[in-house]
Amino acid sequence: MDGQTQLTVRRLPVWTLAICAGAMLIFIVPWLGTQLIYDRTAVIRGELWRLMTGNLVHLSTSHLAYDLAAFMISGTIIEIRGYRYFAMLCFLTAMMIGVAILAFEPALHYYGGLSGVVTATVTYFCLHGLADKGSWRWLCAGLLAGLAIKLWSEMWIGNSLLLSVSTEAFVPVPLSHLIGAFSALLLFILMRLSACIRCTKTAV
Amino acid sequence: MKRTGISILFTFPVSILLVALMGGCATGSTKNATSVVDYLFPNTKDPVVTPGIPTLTLPLRVGIAFVPSNSSGHSRRSSGVFGSYQDGSPALTEKRKSDLMREVADHFKKYPFVKDIEIIPSAYLRPGGSFANLDQIRTMYGVDIIALLSYDQVQFTDEGKLSLTYWTIVGAYVVPGEKNDTQTMLDAVVYDIPSRKMLFRAPGQSRVKGSATLVNQSEELRADSGKGFDEAAKEMIVNLDEQLTNFKAKVKERPDEFKVVNSPGYSGSSGGGSIDLLSLLLIACMGGYFLWMAKRN
Repeated sequence: MDGQTQLTVRRLPVWTLAICAGAMLIFIVPWLGTQLIYDRTAVIRGELWRLMTGNLVHLSTSHLAYDLAAFMISGTIIEIRGYRYFAMLCFLTAMMIGVAILAFEPALHYYGGLSGVVTATVTYFCLHGLADKGSWRWLCAGLLAGLAIKLWSEMWIGNSLLLSVSTEAFVPVPLSHLIGAFSALLLFILMRLSACIRCTKTAV
Repeated sequence: MKRTGISILFTFPVSILLVALMGGCATGSTKNATSVVDYLFPNTKDPVVTPGIPTLTLPLRVGIAFVPSNSSGHSRRSSGVFGSYQDGSPALTEKRKSDLMREVADHFKKYPFVKDIEIIPSAYLRPGGSFANLDQIRTMYGVDIIALLSYDQVQFTDEGKLSLTYWTIVGAYVVPGEKNDTQTMLDAVVYDIPSRKMLFRAPGQSRVKGSATLVNQSEELRADSGKGFDEAAKEMIVNLDEQLTNFKAKVKERPDEFKVVNSPGYSGSSGGGSIDLLSLLLIACMGGYFLWMAKRN
């Protein structure tokens, strides 16, 4: 295998493609969706996997298309740039969203959608991008600021401003976006802290 | 000489009897059916039920049940084939009914306007119980909407030319001389119980063809029956989805015919984490810029 091919293989966004394929499969096979959707009653009954897998279930074609398009782009950026702990970010965010909805949204019986994880991935690559040089850095900063405004407005009106005029048969859950941003920030801080500790140890 | 005469005397009537049996039992059919009309409107002397304007309270609590077969006997056999392969037993056992209902219920659970789907055992429905019985179900299970499932399955059996090999006895065990044809229809009718109004209906049909040896005929017919119900259920679920979409559009178009109210505190029991168009465009721009940057470098 020559060097160019090795580079391509190494930089193939494997996790992104796997997660997108999983979400599509679940959408195509309704039985899977039923078994994996966040179902409050089933979770309380002990089906804990739904806390995490609910993020992969989508409730309409447009819902799936929007979420997958956004996740494909943000996930690919992270994996191609080689930012670490991408898989951990996805799993951590999915789990945290499930637990948060269970704790803070008792009226919500079903939940599905990848947008919380998308918010996490966008926040994650923007935070990393702040350390870069040039225009990318400023674009990341701008996107982070925009994201902060969006989250604030969503929590303020309790709905997504742009989704509130849509005809989807489900209610948007701004909490999932907030948790997504929070989990990305948490992982980023933990990474930086551990790097600092490692540097200090090396210096000592 | 005397002995041969006795043999002829004995075997001749037996042969005649066998030939007569074969000729008389060349084809057969079994019909199993339940009917929503028989269940809801059992007595034609009753005044016609006038439906009111349904008020759908969201989120909906939906019941699902198979209508019971009439005690007068909707399961019947027109003629046997080389003996008895069906004893008039129902095509669907209680477990099979429950599995089919669960399959339908699982598919519709994900809808945001559906809070619960209760699977109601057949024992709770009386033959010819009508709306009075549905009112009892409504009280017991707290459901306002009910999906009543009925079925009609006919199984035909014909004997092919290969059945001639049955005369060899061994042929009855190894040669599939019986040709089976199973035609099934499952029908779901969705009713609003308080208003007695039918909201929509969706059928599912299937046709299974098969063959069997004489000795495993009943086993094959049972397998075909199960397969027929499976295929019909799949088609019915697809049709139900389609009819539900049409019904939602109808509710929006004709608010004077259907009233929709939200339960206190309800804004939609399903939530979706969804990206809006503006965010998607911004992310796409970032992706595009990233690609351009990568190419340039």
